[in-house]
Amino acid sequence: MTTSVPAAGGAPRRRPGSAGRRQARAAWLFMLPTMAVLGVFVVWPMLQALYLSFTDYEVFTPARWIGLENYRALLSDPAFGNALVNTLYYAAVTTPVSVALALGLALLLNRRMPLRGFVRTAVFVPVVISLAVVAIAWSFLLDPNIGLLSHWLSQIGIVSEQGWLRDPSLAMPAVMIVGIWKNVGFYMVMYLAGLQSIPTALYEAARVDGAGPWPRFRRITWPLLANQTMLIVILAAIATLQAFDQIFVMTHGGPFFRTETLVMMTYRIGFKEFQFGYAAAISWALVLLIFVLSMLQVAYFRKRSVTY
Amino acid sequence: MRLRSRTWLVTMTAAIALMSTACAGQGQGGGDAGGSGGPVTLKFWNGFTGPDRAAVEGIVSKFNSSQDKVKIEMEIMPWDVFFDKLLPSLGSGTGPDIAAMDTAQIPQYAARNVFQPLDDLYGPQGIDENVLVRSAVDATVFKGKRYGVPMNFTTLKLYWNKDMFREAGLDPDKPPADWDEFGDYARKLTKDTDGDGKPEQYGLAIADHATIAMWPILFWQNGGGVVSEDGRTAMLDDPATIEAARHWAGLITKDKIAPVGLSGADADKLFQSKKAAMEIVGPWMTTGFEQAGIDFGIAMPPAGPKARVTLGTSVAFTLSSRATGQKKQAARDFFAYWNSKESQAYWSANSGFPPNRTDLTADELKGNPYSALFGQDADKSRFYLAGVQEFQKVNETLFEPALQRVLNGKGDIEQVFGQADKEIQAVLDNAQ
Repeated sequence: MTTSVPAAGGAPRRRPGSAGRRQARAAWLFMLPTMAVLGVFVVWPMLQALYLSFTDYEVFTPARWIGLENYRALLSDPAFGNALVNTLYYAAVTTPVSVALALGLALLLNRRMPLRGFVRTAVFVPVVISLAVVAIAWSFLLDPNIGLLSHWLSQIGIVSEQGWLRDPSLAMPAVMIVGIWKNVGFYMVMYLAGLQSIPTALYEAARVDGAGPWPRFRRITWPLLANQTMLIVILAAIATLQAFDQIFVMTHGGPFFRTETLVMMTYRIGFKEFQFGYAAAISWALVLLIFVLSMLQVAYFRKRSVTY
Repeated sequence: MRLRSRTWLVTMTAAIALMSTACAGQGQGGGDAGGSGGPVTLKFWNGFTGPDRAAVEGIVSKFNSSQDKVKIEMEIMPWDVFFDKLLPSLGSGTGPDIAAMDTAQIPQYAARNVFQPLDDLYGPQGIDENVLVRSAVDATVFKGKRYGVPMNFTTLKLYWNKDMFREAGLDPDKPPADWDEFGDYARKLTKDTDGDGKPEQYGLAIADHATIAMWPILFWQNGGGVVSEDGRTAMLDDPATIEAARHWAGLITKDKIAPVGLSGADADKLFQSKKAAMEIVGPWMTTGFEQAGIDFGIAMPPAGPKARVTLGTSVAFTLSSRATGQKKQAARDFFAYWNSKESQAYWSANSGFPPNRTDLTADELKGNPYSALFGQDADKSRFYLAGVQEFQKVNETLFEPALQRVLNGKGDIEQVFGQADKEIQAVLDNAQ
């Protein structure tokens, strides 16, 4: 900042280079507050966690450097294997289902229909409510004794004796449903924005050429939404790989770790069992997993991006 | 432009300075306060958010107004929040001086030097251990040192719903006396009125996770347990433990006397909403059950084949290892006040817990009918995982999931408990 002060002396004619530098400086200044916040609250803690992952740290005793020991332990820890499988399973189901549902809802709500505003709002509302709060509401709905949803389901012959959240085979689907319900509205809005940016002329031309609804979707809508789809799939995958809130509230990772994801396990190992070094290693394994998957997704979608 | 950039620089510098002082301010909370003159302030955290909250607040405010040397600043939060915050806050120096917790939780903190031994607070000058419930004081011992002072003590008792007993043709004033009657009554009290295979009313509410220990009582009654009484040997693969688990798991999965997968709170709710006829739990539920209009009885849990035993449980005050000198003296004054005759009479009258002291007369305890009941049979009570360093790992990571697997029919009892037994033994050995 100080070096550029002399240049600001008010010379009547500026050389282009100086203007460029001035612009760059302005840009940096605009970004600085955000960068400061990200630096202090995201980057610094992440680096701190990276350091801790190479130590044996229990808060009160000083961290002891143990090199790759934590990472080596991860490879043979059945609990980590279980949490990894649960995380991938959760992501592999909720990501495509959320994206497909969001696209379907966007297509439906992009046309004129009665109560369109109401339905759009209803789908979007869960996005702005705290997941922890709605998870409590869902727990009540699914309660086997007093739950509204369990009651309705029992009317049509679907009886879960233990209740969804206590049943080892139904607990995961239950938290998946809540995860999807919570996020689908956000992705729908992104798709709606994408749909509205497609020129109607393309559809008119296709209609003149005699293309039906499916070819129009297949040849115009879907390719032109490719950018949205890429962004949404990547965002959704990152979000689902970090699933925590509703699981924490609804099942706490149970019954017997059937819904324990990597973030849940990080919490348990760190805050319940006080092995902060090991917990940091788990969270960095997750960072690597997300990074690799996101890169693969970008590479995949790059090849398929289309412009007309 | 020069002016603007300088303004900006000043603003930024100020902001950074402000941030760093804010951070530094956080770090200073742990230092000794009140060097001269003013009272010593002690931060006290606990999780008494239930109906007993008022009684805790009552004694603390009485203590604060009874003298002007020590001031207790109390923060009450739900137990899960409490345990999430405790270690990080103590590590960063912003934590409490006094933290109250179940005695089973103390060793995992004591082992990490988070708390200090309190042996020197006991004695005629301070806290007189001879008038306190002995097992409650003993439960604070870790590696030969006492790390706590009792805040409360109670045994668990069998609650039964008298109306449901009447309806099922049982004598409402006669609780089950042994395992045979216990199982038999539970079967009679279980009803599936609409025939969908899921009972509308259960004989028993028993929790298998996130709960005060209920299953271990059944193991003890048969001569088994999760770990041995000295806390050194895992006992899940002991034939007595396996037999007890098989007996009750059979009644639950085949006869459906109790739902599978309840947490402690779920079990309480089930009894409170009149969907379960019996539950083994402590005095903290009396208020809730009364408010629900339940006509209930309280008795010693039915005797098992080998022993007549129930759970004893206690919350104790602990002191941060950073609270030394004046603060430690102040804490001793508070602990002694809490365990004084007057405070204990107040505590039992307002919470339904029995007093921590053994020298209160029946007359002094008549304020609350439950208080004396829960104090009975203290000599037939046993603490769960007392002195075991890694309570969390042994109980929540290993024992409870194994129990849940068995109750959900995922694996044979011998194999699941055998595996958990090995893993628990490894944790116990590792802590030696």
